[in-house]
Amino acid sequence: MPGWHKKTEEDRAAGRVKMVGIIQEQHPHRARLFMQWQQMDWPILVDRQNLLEVLAVPITALIDEQGIVRALRPSDEEYSRFLETDYVGSTRPVPVRAEAPDLARLQEHAGRSADNQRNYAASLVLWGGDEALDRAVEAYREAVELEPDHGPTHFRLGAAYRARYDSDYRREGDFEAAISHWGRALELDPNQYIWRRRIQQYGPRLDKPYSFYDWVNQARREIEARGETPSVLRVEPGGAEFAYPSESFEAGGTELRSPDPDGRIFRDERRLIRAEVTVVPGTLAPGETGRVHVVLRPDLSQKAHWNNEMEDLVFWIDTPDGWQVDNRHLTVPIPPEPVSQETRRLEFEIKCPENAGGTVVVPAYSLYYVCEDLNGTCLYRRQDIPVRIEINSSQ
Amino acid sequence: MAVEADMTDVLRIAVVLLSTLLLGMTSFVAGAPRIAVGEPFPDLPFPSLDDGRPLSVAAYRGQKLVLHIFASW
Repeated sequence: MPGWHKKTEEDRAAGRVKMVGIIQEQHPHRARLFMQWQQMDWPILVDRQNLLEVLAVPITALIDEQGIVRALRPSDEEYSRFLETDYVGSTRPVPVRAEAPDLARLQEHAGRSADNQRNYAASLVLWGGDEALDRAVEAYREAVELEPDHGPTHFRLGAAYRARYDSDYRREGDFEAAISHWGRALELDPNQYIWRRRIQQYGPRLDKPYSFYDWVNQARREIEARGETPSVLRVEPGGAEFAYPSESFEAGGTELRSPDPDGRIFRDERRLIRAEVTVVPGTLAPGETGRVHVVLRPDLSQKAHWNNEMEDLVFWIDTPDGWQVDNRHLTVPIPPEPVSQETRRLEFEIKCPENAGGTVVVPAYSLYYVCEDLNGTCLYRRQDIPVRIEINSSQ
Repeated sequence: MAVEADMTDVLRIAVVLLSTLLLGMTSFVAGAPRIAVGEPFPDLPFPSLDDGRPLSVAAYRGQKLVLHIFASW
């Protein structure tokens, strides 16, 4: 695509052609940074729900003045011919101004129709802002109930869950629900590459045919070197999204010892820290590797805070016999301020043995320093955070 | 009076047609939108990355367009 950008520069400057993009990713602001980096200033439309139902990207289309597609994935010759051909003669068509739909009207028409619920839900995600994501999830769930085997609905419901997970309206289990519905979508249509990529994005490194957001740091450096300020990302790419493809699974930390082998550290009985675990993909085949995402947040309703005057947060995995993890002793560095309320994230990979089956609970726990309130008591606590792994031996 | 009643009916029909058109224009559900050579590109509005406002490929009618469907991952 940057290649096309260069190729068409002269034609764009001369007004012979206009460039437009449609992006197919969960986090549109990342595409904005990419565009800034590549100095591509064309208009971009955001289709994070894959409403166009394209199976893979990139796709380049040559569209004539009437809006008719004249070539897909064109060759240089096709592009030259496209520029030379007058498709409309003297009559110039009038551009159509797009309008967002009337959401209230769509809701009114939704009823017990899967199509109408899907339409309403899709429009809520597109036009309703983060505050509409609850309603979007509900409408998509209604559509799934009415038509349980419709792959695109599962995918879009997953996209809505993940969008809510990344928003201020997040609910416990949103990310796990996203992975579950993306997995179901892919079961229904295993050839949908866009859907597969969405799961791979958060999944194990070995699953990735090529990397996701490894370009982000380079882009920021180069943009700053130009004297510009890099466009801000609403959601920073996490560990799985930065993963380079690796050639083999390497078990790590086998020589380490559990920091609390006898379980003597007091438990966080009041759940001052809320923990959430998501395994990607949602179901593993025997011998397969999954990526585990652990999210830890102070419970704001209890005014809990991290206490940062002591040591890093620790996460330990008691790997069962035959199981392997790439790191069984993880830490999250503490920020410089004495107390904080940020979300802390950990990721690790786990490989199940060939003879595994059913549901396996992998014991794990976290040790952290937490304060009951800004001026309240600060405690050192342990929270057991078992990781449930579903293994489908029929895969 | 009969004329007024007729006008009301006409208005009602117009409203129904308009809403059907509106719903139809923004429908993402009537089968997969088809992107094929020789056919119009699907006229669906999406938020613009710049400002979130509705934008459609049809807004560029009258110009030759190179459209890229892509992801930055």
